[in-house]
Amino acid sequence: MRFVLKTRYAQDVDFFKHNGQRFWYGLLGLFVFVAPFLLDDFYTGELSLVFIYAIAGIGLMLLVGYTGLVSLGHAAFLAIGAYAHAYFMTEGAPFMVSLIGATAVCVVIGAIVGIPSLRMTGIYLAVATLAFAQIVEKVLAHWESVTGGHRGMAVPEPEIFSWSLGTPRAFYFLVLLVLIGALFCALNLLRSPTGRAMIAIRDSEISAQAMGINLARVKTTSFAVSAGFTGLAGGLLAHKIGYLAPDAFTILISIQLLLMVVVGGLGSMHGVIYGAVFIGLLPQGIAFLRESLPAGIGQIPGLEPGIFGLILVLFLVYEPLGIFGRWIKIRLFFSEFPLYRKSTYKRQKSYLRTERVH
Amino acid sequence: MLAADNVSISFGGVHAVRDVSFEVAAGQVYSIIGPNGAGKTTLFNLVSRLYDVDAGSITFDGEPITRVPPHQVAERGIARTFQNTELFEHETVLKNLLIGHHVHRQTALWEELLFLPKVREQDLVFRQQVEDVIDLLDLQSYRDQIIGNLPYGVRKMVEIARALCLGPRLILLDEPSSGLNPEETEDLSFWIEDINEELDITVVMVEHDMNLVNQVSDRVLVLADGVVIAVGTPNEIQGHPDVLRAYLGD
Amino acid sequence: MELVQLLISGISQGCVYGLIALGFVLIYKATEMVNFAQGDLMMLGAFIAFGFINVLGWPFLWGFLATLAVMGVVGATLERLLLRPMIGEPPFAVLMLTIGLGFILRAVAGAIWGYEDKTLSTPYGGGVARWGEISVGYENIAVVLGTLVLCVLVFVFFRKTRVGIAMQAASQNQLAAYYVGIPVKWIFALVWAMSAMISATAGILVAPLSLINPIMGFVGIKAFAAAIVGGFGSLPGAFLAGLMIGIVEQFAKHGLPSGLEGFSETTAYVILLIMLFIRPEGIFATMQRKKV
Repeated sequence: MRFVLKTRYAQDVDFFKHNGQRFWYGLLGLFVFVAPFLLDDFYTGELSLVFIYAIAGIGLMLLVGYTGLVSLGHAAFLAIGAYAHAYFMTEGAPFMVSLIGATAVCVVIGAIVGIPSLRMTGIYLAVATLAFAQIVEKVLAHWESVTGGHRGMAVPEPEIFSWSLGTPRAFYFLVLLVLIGALFCALNLLRSPTGRAMIAIRDSEISAQAMGINLARVKTTSFAVSAGFTGLAGGLLAHKIGYLAPDAFTILISIQLLLMVVVGGLGSMHGVIYGAVFIGLLPQGIAFLRESLPAGIGQIPGLEPGIFGLILVLFLVYEPLGIFGRWIKIRLFFSEFPLYRKSTYKRQKSYLRTERVH
Repeated sequence: MLAADNVSISFGGVHAVRDVSFEVAAGQVYSIIGPNGAGKTTLFNLVSRLYDVDAGSITFDGEPITRVPPHQVAERGIARTFQNTELFEHETVLKNLLIGHHVHRQTALWEELLFLPKVREQDLVFRQQVEDVIDLLDLQSYRDQIIGNLPYGVRKMVEIARALCLGPRLILLDEPSSGLNPEETEDLSFWIEDINEELDITVVMVEHDMNLVNQVSDRVLVLADGVVIAVGTPNEIQGHPDVLRAYLGD
Repeated sequence: MELVQLLISGISQGCVYGLIALGFVLIYKATEMVNFAQGDLMMLGAFIAFGFINVLGWPFLWGFLATLAVMGVVGATLERLLLRPMIGEPPFAVLMLTIGLGFILRAVAGAIWGYEDKTLSTPYGGGVARWGEISVGYENIAVVLGTLVLCVLVFVFFRKTRVGIAMQAASQNQLAAYYVGIPVKWIFALVWAMSAMISATAGILVAPLSLINPIMGFVGIKAFAAAIVGGFGSLPGAFLAGLMIGIVEQFAKHGLPSGLEGFSETTAYVILLIMLFIRPEGIFATMQRKKV
């Protein structure tokens, strides 16, 4: 167990609490910067995809893990970001302007979608976002002048000052920088009053109100920021897939995003990264599994979503805190060995009492 | 300072509070007592705008607060605690207290996203003030603990600390001593006096422990079945025949 | 005439939504859990009936009863293995769990029966009844009649039987219900079994209308919208909302200008959003605020 002696209040504000953390995160940073020179193009591309998932996940985590509002429709923001970015670029906007514009569109739409969250919570909100996403899907399929309808639309090559970012390696660095920027902003938000207000709303709305937190304002902010991050990821994703079609952004994608934050560990930014790595690499794992299994089982179609579902269920039943929670426990086990007690993280179960009248 | 004028509310035919009027002067410790179900907590919920009054009005510093949104009640300087504690369970004591500073923030969202020096300085100021409250209520050893792992008595104190972080001029304490042992209750009575005298905060509390009430209160209001039965100093209330009847029956 | 025809197909489609919504509400009312895999239970029920009736060649009635029995066991088993460990967890976790369950059920059905459309042989498939110019498929009549019968059964069950009343008690306060001697765990298993059986019935009723395949359960999302529009805790509300969505959807399909017919698919969601904006508590309000 490391004991950190605090001598300044700034230490509670800083990202890194001690030198050990600085060392390990530095090492990780070094690794991601040299990775594309060690991996071939395919794996560099896969790693960029993981980073894109992570950016979208940051958005969803702020909403679900920190504000406690569940969205079953985040694929819609991914789609709006992707389409808006592709559209702006097709119309001749420079890459950066277009990406920022697409993010802004998502922020505005996110704020509007967030308005009903003032009046409903939990399952009602989840379903409202689901309905929103379904409608967006139909709009994308029918608004042919902008989206190309079912035919889809091609995404122009990304370039900054006529410097092409089309190669996997250049694109990797672009995505990496955006991810670092997104993480920086999200972590900043969480150590600021607005981020703390979100957490307050998650844990007790009534008490948050009594502390002078404007529920309406913070909830819509949370939705807008969340949609912004996810839309930004959508813009990058557009380049990764290269050709946009409405069926690339179904409810399954929304659920996959939720799966990511749940499996990673709700309420932590580490969880987002773990979840993204998990989601990004799972298809590879399953492909590998298919080859090594006997043909009869390996060739079953639809194996992939089934395994997704199975993993989700197993995590919820056996490790609700996600991969990050498991990691914390393992770390505690070794640092307190042999004194670790299993009940340290056991939470008292509460019995439900309905809030219904009849 | 805080005044209610003929306030009423009913829930589906049950008159929880009926024509209640009272006035709390600045600097007082004002206790509201009464049997269970008398409408004491409902009265608090009306002041902090969790419920809408059916009739009557509530004013704070002469300004009506009967229709302002709930968060503005806190912005105007009224803090409160809850009967069964409503803390932010998954966070540390420190973070809970920092959330208490929310009304004093002066930074915009974009400044927070970039964590400009302004935001950092603001946070350090909050941090310093949190430390003052921690010192006042002796919470040093719990600073970095998660609320969910704390014993009930400590949670009660953390909730009072959080309310103080708001920098209120009036604090509503809903049964502060419930669930505390006699020793903790005695400490509580000193703290309430400190809060009242040193920090110059007016205190309104709902309380069942008559020792505590008698020790700290300037005025006592007795409520039964949603109606005011008596108002007076603790001494006046103790021998009041109507109060005895309300508690013990005829 | 066309209007009547549309109304009739709308009603029969609405009954399907209503039936699945009924399964949602049943589980929610008794256990406070939201089962997103309801549509997939319907799909599974249809496939199992297909197995008994078409593959094994059993008579329809026996196949139907056997499907109910199997689905009852499936429902109770799911409750025992997956949902019971979740008692006391936040509702969001349960929601995610049932979403995961839906994925698994689809994969299992796909692995066993494949992804081609299947047709279930039923005594009510194919035939058409005529009154003057109006013609109604037997399968539509079967759906409406079956739904009515089920609704009455469920209603009577909740109002009149001891077990039904115990279920309501268990949902209002689990601990208190436990103290007064209601076997809460057993009740929950029973609720899941019943809900799975209702879904299976829905699956068998719609099988002639929409062919059987592993993704037929997606219709459950619309039914879910219906359940919410109806107020979620209310059985008649869920059913009426399902009916309304079914009818509006049919009219939208024919009324929207060409090129935009695809939007009729979003009817359920548009109605849901309108409802959530003007009356967030649903047609039959059953929620109240948390007390402090």
